[in-house]
Amino acid sequence: MDNSNDRNQQVRRALLKAAGFGSLGALLPAIGCGGSDKADESTSFALGHSSTSATALPATGITGRVVVVGGGMAGAAVAKYLRLWGGSGVAVTLVERSASYTSNIMSNLVLTGQRSISSLQYTYNNLVSRYGINRVQGEVVSVDPVGRKVRLASGSTLAYDRLVLAPGVVFTYELGLGGIPGLETAAAQARVLHAWQAGPQTTALRNQITAMPNGGVFVLTIPAKPYRCPPGPYERACLVADWLKKNRPGAKVFILDANPGITAEVHSFTDAFMNVHAGVAEYHPSVVINSIDASAMTLNTSIGNIQANVINAIPPHRAGKVVTDAGLADIGGRWASVNQLSYESKVAGIHVIGDSAGTDQPKAGHIGNQLGKVCADAMLRALGRLTPDPAPVTNSACYSPITMDTASWLTAVFAYNPTTLKMAAVADSFREAESRSGENFSKMNKWFSALMTETFS
Amino acid sequence: MRLLSTAALLGASLLAATAGAQTAAPPTGRLLASNCFQCHGTNGAGSSFDSLIGQSVDEIYKKLKEMQVESPGNNIMKAHARGYTDEQMRQISLYFSQQRSSSTTSR
Repeated sequence: MDNSNDRNQQVRRALLKAAGFGSLGALLPAIGCGGSDKADESTSFALGHSSTSATALPATGITGRVVVVGGGMAGAAVAKYLRLWGGSGVAVTLVERSASYTSNIMSNLVLTGQRSISSLQYTYNNLVSRYGINRVQGEVVSVDPVGRKVRLASGSTLAYDRLVLAPGVVFTYELGLGGIPGLETAAAQARVLHAWQAGPQTTALRNQITAMPNGGVFVLTIPAKPYRCPPGPYERACLVADWLKKNRPGAKVFILDANPGITAEVHSFTDAFMNVHAGVAEYHPSVVINSIDASAMTLNTSIGNIQANVINAIPPHRAGKVVTDAGLADIGGRWASVNQLSYESKVAGIHVIGDSAGTDQPKAGHIGNQLGKVCADAMLRALGRLTPDPAPVTNSACYSPITMDTASWLTAVFAYNPTTLKMAAVADSFREAESRSGENFSKMNKWFSALMTETFS
Repeated sequence: MRLLSTAALLGASLLAATAGAQTAAPPTGRLLASNCFQCHGTNGAGSSFDSLIGQSVDEIYKKLKEMQVESPGNNIMKAHARGYTDEQMRQISLYFSQQRSSSTTSR
């Protein structure tokens, strides 16, 4: 894809794609509709389930070229809504290095063998065929904010009027950035996994867990917030504890939290650790990990030395490389500050959404989707010489397994505060389930299916 | 056939695009209502949860208000509904009452 000033050519290409021709992604297997915890079933009907017919786009009079970097929950949503709301005059190019997206949501169920990684994968085929999004599989290596173009690893460039960076997070092992001593080397990181980006590490951690002996010890370390998916680590601890309870009698799960207490769903996870998984899971707040010896599988911590069979250390996170390299990670060198009406960063024309954005909203897929819609709306207004919606509202909802067949939920609505200029939780809406239940577990599958359909098709 | 209609649509918007003037504001309530899309489908057309289309403004508004005042217990929507003001609920209700069934076309 060369410098694409020729809008006619781009539109023509979009037209071909809208008609179902020439789609790069069409060669890939259509995988993953979600919704089923029988992983292999969900892959088999995915192709038939996906319509390739183009959606009629509105004629809005808005024109412009938008490049979206990153095809996760936020990036896919912003690309979709730029076209669905902005119409065919808005040329949207989605750059993502991977052939498909692997959902972090539900990936803890891979650890218990209840889902497969392939059941969590979503291609970009529907975004291309339905909305005429131009999909480029590649990696952005630099951003030129003055010339308004990005350069890809392939050497080609993409010109933009507005750029969206939605690269997710990278994990930091540098000691100066909160990394744990002992995990600096690739060899150590290959033994002490994070599995906090669904994919090969998730499968590898599953294999480590199944290799544990009866009476073995699984240690999970949680970084100081903010990290991706606030309830996620506690959910993982619960699922691993439940699996070990059933399959490796006498095994223990130690949860070593850098935070002074459970950071999300305090009621549900306190009940989980004190009652449901009592005798198996042990929760410790405010723990400092002094060092980890990946060869010996030992931890030196503020509560003593621990010998483990498996250590699952979730490192601190920071904004994706493309955000940091563009000099946008101005909050503690980790996150990008943004105008919370438009998600425009401190550099004009460059928006940052999803987990890389530094706001008080959780870093999670459901809200990432909504940030994509708020950002799309604001960009379309900007392209049409209008000001952003002055009162955006975003929302977060998620279900968390407490056992292999029960779940809780968490929800919050966020509204713009014109005094602080920040999105803040509406207190009365920030709630969790009264109790775990099988019904919640079943609704979790429906929620996941709906969310992924909304984001990727 | 699909190719022709898409081509006509693209052509029309290209013509409209040349002016560079201020465009029309998006429909009232659309961005707000998009909060519901994650679970209730794009434009509320239904997904694995209920469709929000095919009801009157009053019907949708009444349901939202009822959910807001009831004790949430284990019902996620009763908790979620507490995040919206009365005016926001009216806007959300109006938006969905204007959506057509089985359409993902935005308006």
